[in-house]
Amino acid sequence: MMQMTRRQSLALAGGLAITGARRARAQASRNVMVGGFDVGPGGFQGNFNPLAATAGFQWLNLYYETLVLYDAALENIKGALAASFESNPEKTRFMFHLVPDAKWHDGSAFTSTDVAFTIALAKDAKLGSIFASRLADITDVQTPDAHTAIMVLGKPNGSLPDILTKLMMLPEKALSALPREGLDRNPWWSTSPIGTGPFRFVRYETDQYVELKANSAYRAGKPKLDGVINRYFKNSAGAVAALRSGEIQFSYVESDEAAGFANDPKFHVIDGNSWVMNYIGFNARAGMWSDVRVRRALLQAINRDAIIKAIFKGAADPALSIYTAGNVTPKDLDPYPYDPAHAKLLLQQAGWDKINGSKPLPMLSYYNTPLVTNVMTAIQAMLGQVGIMVTPRQVDVATYNGIVYGQNNDAQFPLVYAGAQDGPEPGIANIYINSKQAPPAGANIMHADVPDLDAALNAALAEPDASKRPARFQQVARVFNTELPWAPLWVGKRYGVLSADIHNFVWTPAPSGGGYEQNAVAWSFS
Amino acid sequence: MLRTTLRHLGATAAMLVALSVLMFGLLRATPGDPVAAYMDPTAAYSAADIAALRHRMGLDQPLPLQYLDWATAALHGDFGYSTQHDRQPVRAMIAERAGPTLLLMGSGLILSTALGIGAGILAALRRDGPLDVALAVVGSLGVSSPAFLTALLGLFVFAVRLGWAPSGGMTTPGVPTTIADLLAHLALPAAIFAAGQATLTMRYMRAAMLEVMNHDYIRTARAKGVGEVWVICKHATRNALLPVVTLTGANIGAAVGGAIFIESVFNWPGMGLLMVNAVEARDYPVIMGSALVIGLFVLLINLLTDVVCAAVDPRIRVR
Amino acid sequence: MSATLLSRPRSPLLRAALRFAAMPVPMAGLILLLLMLGAILLHPWLLGIDPDAIDLMAINAPPDAAHWLGADGVGRDVLARVLDGGRVSLLVATGSVAISLVIGFAVGAIAALGGRVANAVAMRLVDLAMTLPPVVLLLVLASLTGQGVGATILVIALLSWPVLARLVRARLLELREREFVMASRGMGAGFWHILRRHALPNCLDIIVVYSALQVANAILLEAGLSFLGMGIPQPAASWGNMLNAARSTVVLQNYSWQWLAPGAALLLTVMAINFVGDGLRAALDPRSDL
Repeated sequence: MMQMTRRQSLALAGGLAITGARRARAQASRNVMVGGFDVGPGGFQGNFNPLAATAGFQWLNLYYETLVLYDAALENIKGALAASFESNPEKTRFMFHLVPDAKWHDGSAFTSTDVAFTIALAKDAKLGSIFASRLADITDVQTPDAHTAIMVLGKPNGSLPDILTKLMMLPEKALSALPREGLDRNPWWSTSPIGTGPFRFVRYETDQYVELKANSAYRAGKPKLDGVINRYFKNSAGAVAALRSGEIQFSYVESDEAAGFANDPKFHVIDGNSWVMNYIGFNARAGMWSDVRVRRALLQAINRDAIIKAIFKGAADPALSIYTAGNVTPKDLDPYPYDPAHAKLLLQQAGWDKINGSKPLPMLSYYNTPLVTNVMTAIQAMLGQVGIMVTPRQVDVATYNGIVYGQNNDAQFPLVYAGAQDGPEPGIANIYINSKQAPPAGANIMHADVPDLDAALNAALAEPDASKRPARFQQVARVFNTELPWAPLWVGKRYGVLSADIHNFVWTPAPSGGGYEQNAVAWSFS
Repeated sequence: MLRTTLRHLGATAAMLVALSVLMFGLLRATPGDPVAAYMDPTAAYSAADIAALRHRMGLDQPLPLQYLDWATAALHGDFGYSTQHDRQPVRAMIAERAGPTLLLMGSGLILSTALGIGAGILAALRRDGPLDVALAVVGSLGVSSPAFLTALLGLFVFAVRLGWAPSGGMTTPGVPTTIADLLAHLALPAAIFAAGQATLTMRYMRAAMLEVMNHDYIRTARAKGVGEVWVICKHATRNALLPVVTLTGANIGAAVGGAIFIESVFNWPGMGLLMVNAVEARDYPVIMGSALVIGLFVLLINLLTDVVCAAVDPRIRVR
Repeated sequence: MSATLLSRPRSPLLRAALRFAAMPVPMAGLILLLLMLGAILLHPWLLGIDPDAIDLMAINAPPDAAHWLGADGVGRDVLARVLDGGRVSLLVATGSVAISLVIGFAVGAIAALGGRVANAVAMRLVDLAMTLPPVVLLLVLASLTGQGVGATILVIALLSWPVLARLVRARLLELREREFVMASRGMGAGFWHILRRHALPNCLDIIVVYSALQVANAILLEAGLSFLGMGIPQPAASWGNMLNAARSTVVLQNYSWQWLAPGAALLLTVMAINFVGDGLRAALDPRSDL
């Protein structure tokens, strides 16, 4: 019995070797790109409803399109389905001039009726649309002719174009034929969706992959690729294996994995700003962080440069305040250099022994990678040297949110190690550090309450003159740097790996994966 | 016999109810709810966003009302809708994953049981010889390796370095599905799963055989001049199979819940991955539905195991 | 082997010990176990390296003169951490195995020997425990108990006892019908007597194999627990949380000493326990002399 099994297994292995080799060759000869487009924090595996999309825009933008898009550098908003757009100075009327020749995948023309319909759907909270609150200011969408749409707002909102870079236009004719009740649960989204993008939907193999094929009637011309396939991976380890075995041509990878591809001529490594600032948050309600000397001491006890160099291997840049890039970061911030002796002095002056002494303090985090385990261990050792005892605790996202947004849990998270998206639009910081934005109103989970900071934020958000806004936000950064409601640590880079066979590929690790011009029509194999 | 079976089925039904109540309570005691699982901690959600999410996920109803709703619907086979993005009906989701799970577990278990029993018998026959020690080392290796490590190593050695197998998934994307394609994708995860399970079976089989080989009836048979191989095959194996059958039954039950790491490393769309994703997302309807289905399967397998044990050894009857 | 008449009869325990000592493989296992235990307990004096001392200059250092088994992701010495972690891991493993042995054997015995009602209740309890998805149970327990050695031991024990209960029950159901047991009951033997004199010795092979396998399982479960925010918190070393480093493909491929070391330690422990346990089973079986 054992011998038969051995012979059989040898035969099986031989057969596998042959089929395996044949399969790899068969895929490369077809003009279809396969990638892990929803791997990593910018992806949203298994989501097909653009109204519920908080991420995954890289993939959605292949078969749907938005009115406007950022350029690849995430600096300027340009037109997509809207050839151009303008607004009145009060920012209460936005006029969009639509391109004349956009067609849906079923052949019908894209018109302003579709725009009005999409906005109406997006404002419907019952459909699970996350745009409902963000577009609440829109009171009316006027459609004077088939290629002009005017959005009228009840209140001024300068960030409307930024919101629209994520809203996919949806077909009025196809969707109004479906029952409105339960539209978000309709299988239409994952079996036969219709968009205007360069590729059209073919099929979704549950939990396995999504297949698109080229849209030959696309207004900018037929794409060079015959099709694109999005393979799903539970984690980036599987994606890395598939990249190395040549089965996929692109994926997001973790920063330490990217280093392994760096010197390999078969791959290009693409990197960019993650726009997520990592910090240690001080829970203002935990009772031991009220003296600013203690907060400064903690920051100065940590050797950020050493951690960035040794553990991140350079895949991060130091962060001195809430903002880390663009024109909202002033040059005169205090770097709080690594100085454990000074940190001990500050703690002594503040009376740390009486405030907390050597009682261990939990430091909660939702990051679960071995890399972050190493980072938190290093921080623990450095803080231990000055007399602050912390115990890292890594939990999953649901537990983390349950604890920090719950009531009476403050003893469980006197400290957190977390990340916050700080751009590209700087106003986003308000919801994290304004004292009026404590849960349940907003995301100020650390209950930061710094009156000067509130004042600076309110002034910046209310500033009507676009040329004065950067200076206002720089003031926010200065107050943050002085008062330290959080201890800012670093901002990481995000990495993607592309096979050297692919040309004209554009990828920016944007927060939430998009939406920016990715030039999918020009992607091609060499 | 019929009365016993009916009694067992009745007990099974009662157990499922108890399981569902227990699960429901446990889920409510878990920190975080579907909204907490959905929120990306680095992104900014306003109160209005969160309220919309809660409404969409059906979380604004009071607790006891939710269980009764769920239970009545479940009796009609309706397990509700997933709270995750595309809001699929739970029953459809489970039905889709049941097939791949059975395929993976089935082939893995057949392989591992055959391998384990064979190796266990051999090890017992050649006790303390070089083969026995070698098998003990291999067995220890199988048991001391964490599941994710075996899966990752298998992936990188066999799929990436040697190129013998595809690196995950159930079928090749973009090409029409064939049986050969499916088998090629099944081979590596099933083999890794079998390797882990076979070592357990082997150890128990060997120990039970050694215990039985010294019994009187074996010595009698030997003394009567019956051939050694025949003696073993007929007498010892039959009685040593009892713990192995029980163990295999327990393994099947646990296996359906998922070779979670194998499924997640190889992206095999089975029940294990469904359950893990649902727990991460605190997707209560899916967790309840799949826990119930898996629970039903485990109970039936336990029942079957008892019946098989009674068939193997007629002396065992629970009176 | 012939039975020789001795001038002074030896006690059964002594005979068993002599039988054990005569078997080379179990003795090798015992010696290995004692050596490992010694190294684990005495490492501060033997090695003298602080297992918790981080050194950002030596991150991921391969094995060299300063670090015999290399350094981990924050520069700590791997050998020192393996020896230090052995204490925690073995404590967790033996503690949880002991508890689950007691619970599992008790429930299995009650089910087999206690009559029909006891069997029904006990088996329903086992079934319920087996059908509960472990991940959900762990999440709830994590929020209630938090981290630490005691909580870890408890959680692992609670997850492991059902399998043993079923194995014991199956074996004892068969045993109950054997002649010597029926004779024993005919003479008026009580439940505890049967348990001690008949049930326990005849389940020894199951118990021994289960314990050996469960030690490994417990340490691996402990690794999984730290992934869920429970288990042994940093900076304490344990074989489980050292093995977790291999979740990163970079560590898996490039820094293999970081997970090979705790993996090898675990493997040696399991092997040693296997051999010793095997020897125990054979030594305590009076028929193996003949």
